[in-house]
Amino acid sequence: MSPFAGRLILIIALAMAAGVIVMLRRLWLPAAAHAVPSIWRIASITVSEARRRRVLQAVIALVALIMISMLFVAYLSPAEQSRMLISGGLSAITVFGILLSIFVAAFLIPQEIQNRTIYPILAKPVRRFEFVLGKYLGALIVLGLMVAVMTGVLVLILLISDHYVQDQPGSVFDPNLAKVVFAAAMSYCALAVLTALIILISTIGSTTMTIISAFIAWALGSLQSTFLDSIQQTTGFAHLVLILFYNVVPKLENFDFRHEVANFMPISVVGAWQAVLHGAGYILVVLILASLFFNDRQV
Amino acid sequence: MSSPRVNNWLIACLMVSILLALVPLQESIHRSRPDRFDPDRQTRLIDPNQTGDRMRFLRKASTPAIIAALGGFRTVGADLLWLKAERVWHGGNWSTMDPILEAVTQLDPHFILAWVTRGWHCAYNLHGEAQIKSEKDFWLQRGISVFEDAVAANPDSWELSFQLAWTLYDRAREHQRAAEWARRAAEFPEATSYAARLCYRPYEHIMDFEHLFPAMEYAKSRFPNDEHHQFLVNRDIAWWTEHRDDPQEHRRQIVIENTARRQRAIDYYLYPDDPYWDVCPNCGLPSPKGSDACQNPACGYVFPRPQEQETEPAEAAAPNTPR
Repeated sequence: MSPFAGRLILIIALAMAAGVIVMLRRLWLPAAAHAVPSIWRIASITVSEARRRRVLQAVIALVALIMISMLFVAYLSPAEQSRMLISGGLSAITVFGILLSIFVAAFLIPQEIQNRTIYPILAKPVRRFEFVLGKYLGALIVLGLMVAVMTGVLVLILLISDHYVQDQPGSVFDPNLAKVVFAAAMSYCALAVLTALIILISTIGSTTMTIISAFIAWALGSLQSTFLDSIQQTTGFAHLVLILFYNVVPKLENFDFRHEVANFMPISVVGAWQAVLHGAGYILVVLILASLFFNDRQV
Repeated sequence: MSSPRVNNWLIACLMVSILLALVPLQESIHRSRPDRFDPDRQTRLIDPNQTGDRMRFLRKASTPAIIAALGGFRTVGADLLWLKAERVWHGGNWSTMDPILEAVTQLDPHFILAWVTRGWHCAYNLHGEAQIKSEKDFWLQRGISVFEDAVAANPDSWELSFQLAWTLYDRAREHQRAAEWARRAAEFPEATSYAARLCYRPYEHIMDFEHLFPAMEYAKSRFPNDEHHQFLVNRDIAWWTEHRDDPQEHRRQIVIENTARRQRAIDYYLYPDDPYWDVCPNCGLPSPKGSDACQNPACGYVFPRPQEQETEPAEAAAPNTPR
């Protein structure tokens, strides 16, 4: 697709979306004022429930342990050490962040239905989409806290290493802190996309199905460049199917800046904000779908 | 407008239009991050001015499935293999190093140190270890090819261009190409002064005066505040201005300067068609062309006459075979 055609499609699509939002104003405008406090209340309940789970604290301790163990590569040159600490630390944040998002989000709605705790909530003046959005916001807050703690541990380890590692001529320990924090923030955006998708799956499926589907979604979302290769190598119907599939799966690789940060490469700011914009659009669509599905679900 | 059926259709329209808007946005993300998504997948030739297809080394990869399976964790995979390479290196198992380092560079094409180590390992260590000429040629070409792939994957790295230039100059003796790559390396703002001096060193060795003096002037124009660099370049300019018409003196100077590293001097400066010096196949030291016997008093080897030379095995007479 040429850049001009791309821009044209973008403008037409955004104009269509804006038109529909205006046409639907009678639907969402009165609901908006009521929705915010309800969503916030459900989110805060979700956060306090998550705080009671010991597994989250155990995961944080495990991540800290992994990061501290990376200090034992001290026999490498300072530049290699900084590279290893950054790439290993950011990968630990991503892996454990994704595992946390799967195991936090997958249980939110199905467990409420299973334990029948959803009935008193829905008996109150809480709409179903408010419940879905509240659960999503709660999961985002929990994951945000987790990622912040893990990033804090990594930054601390990098600062300690920077203090103790002796630089050599031609090999300098560079903690690259600003970019490390940036990459961790982008990882959090990837978690937000994946969590939305998990919430969507959990509105229609059981906990087991949600967990399995979430792992598949993660795998597909992390293999974007492989998808692109496959698209280039196929023709005809298979090509069309792959393009369609590519545009539907979550684009988790858009948020992956670990490689650039670990190799001290320049970061594409345009690529970053476009990824955030893309993620926001994707989350919006997924949450609308989740609300629609949950609205029709018999609980 | 307020019937639920119409509302559902409108919501569906909203979702479709948002998804439609995401398609060009994703294309734009591909364009803004070519290192990751590489939308321009045309294969091109590599030369110093056009670094070519960045992922050509991946197309040669025999393990794309593994790379794909690692997904976003390629850097970690590369790090773990790098640690393995480190252990193999210290264990002395040199031949195992190349495939491990190849995997490292495939997994993380921006790991500069891995590229440099791999290219150097092929062009120097494995080349030096090889016992027969065809094997030596193979490892040398492999080393050069590694650096070409490295430059293609990392066009913004001055160090890789410099390493390619150095290998071409020092090992392959492709002086013209070496000078071109050295010039490319020296043009990077972060390049060091020895990259600038390598711009003219290859021309010294082929005595290409047409390019030598402009290259020396270029080297002089770089790093004007680096006193050591300016001293070295000025010394070379003065020397070549004085000895421009006296190439034999140049050869003599080089050999004298390198008496402490005689063997290296032979490897560095003399090549099979050297017009001024012959290398003694017995002791490895240079003697002026046309000498009847080796100039090394401790050796005294008698050089064969031309008709005898034809019957000699080519390998034994090759002057540049590293020991």
